[in-house]
Amino acid sequence: MESDDPRLLLGVFAPDRVRSIVVITTDGELAVAIRETVPAGIAVVRDARPDDAAEVAGACLPWPWMVVGSTASLTPELASMLQTRPVLTLWLGAAPAGLPSHTARFDRHTPLLAAVEDACGAKVGDMRLAPGSGVDLGDGTLLRGATLDALIGAYPRGFALPSRTFRSAGAALARADAGWTTERDASACIALVPCTHAAAAQ
Amino acid sequence: MRANPEVLILEDDAETLEGLQTHFTRKRFHPLAARSASRALSLLENNLYSSRPVLAIVDWDLGKAPDQAASSGDVLSRLARELRECPVIVYSQNIDAFNVRSQIQRSHPRALLHDKRDGDASLLERVDRMLDRTVGDLRIHDGTVVVHLPTLDQHHHREAIRLVVHHPDIVTFHSDTSTKAVRRFGEWLREHDSAVRLVSHGNRKYRLSVTVTAGSTSADETV
Repeated sequence: MESDDPRLLLGVFAPDRVRSIVVITTDGELAVAIRETVPAGIAVVRDARPDDAAEVAGACLPWPWMVVGSTASLTPELASMLQTRPVLTLWLGAAPAGLPSHTARFDRHTPLLAAVEDACGAKVGDMRLAPGSGVDLGDGTLLRGATLDALIGAYPRGFALPSRTFRSAGAALARADAGWTTERDASACIALVPCTHAAAAQ
Repeated sequence: MRANPEVLILEDDAETLEGLQTHFTRKRFHPLAARSASRALSLLENNLYSSRPVLAIVDWDLGKAPDQAASSGDVLSRLARELRECPVIVYSQNIDAFNVRSQIQRSHPRALLHDKRDGDASLLERVDRMLDRTVGDLRIHDGTVVVHLPTLDQHHHREAIRLVVHHPDIVTFHSDTSTKAVRRFGEWLREHDSAVRLVSHGNRKYRLSVTVTAGSTSADETV
């Protein structure tokens, strides 16, 4: 049933604050495989096509936790979001122009699915992703923030983005006395590091 | 006060629909049963502000539906958008086909999938497992009653069921009546000195929190 009524828009366009993985393919097959890989409750998989990917990503509030794709091109809106927000970006096959330099590229499904699974189950010290959204510090404390979610999923890698993007996550970790902070690594990416490591480097 | 929770059932086969309806009626649910997607959409529309189903069971293949004006995808989209806290089970004979899974996933990214070839009994067993939940010292009995296990006292209200079924998620209530019912449930929890308490997030949003005593600290339990 075709309708312009926004109440009848497809489910993947429904705005939601739950941690989301946007999968951009032409046929949806990869999205099905990823959905079977993601542990229950950790993230919602949104199956997007190249022409609606920017709209699907826009419905993930404040931005998607992860974008996985296998398409040969990227819309400018989506490229702009990926270059300015800390979004885990994984690509199968040749990476189209516009992807950020921290994109992880894969030639085969299996290692890509393994990388998705690793990100979902990432453990940084005692910290891990809580179901739905936020980071469980291991002592019952829940820290909410899309940037921190992204840093945990990317660990030990990081994001080639300006330091200011991670200020709030760093401040939240310091307030919670989590023992971790953010720092630019050798590959010029901002990643999580233990506070002892950061202090030694100074 | 009794207010039985509703279950949306969309199934185009009259006999199967009747079987599901009987099952839920016996368990004291109020089934919102539809043989077509249009009927299911109108049931949702009519019930949106008065009550909201605690569970939706949707048959993906509606070839035998009396009208084809809308599809099961439209119902799933509506559920994803307006009743996102409602767990949805979609079942199909072709659930293994990736294009079917992909279409379901686009319509409702959180829908749970079930293979119709496993039979109705397997579906009902799964539903019962989902609805008979334990949260802290509370247990849902028969899908319609919240039992405080230490005292075996019972609380009957669909909004209480909804909170327990959706724990640890935040649930939004859409009317003063339901909000009052939720607050009464919160008082009932306090009176029973339950380990579960009601947490308000403002704007008619509530969730349950379970206090776990671990040494001197307490924390929200994540189930």
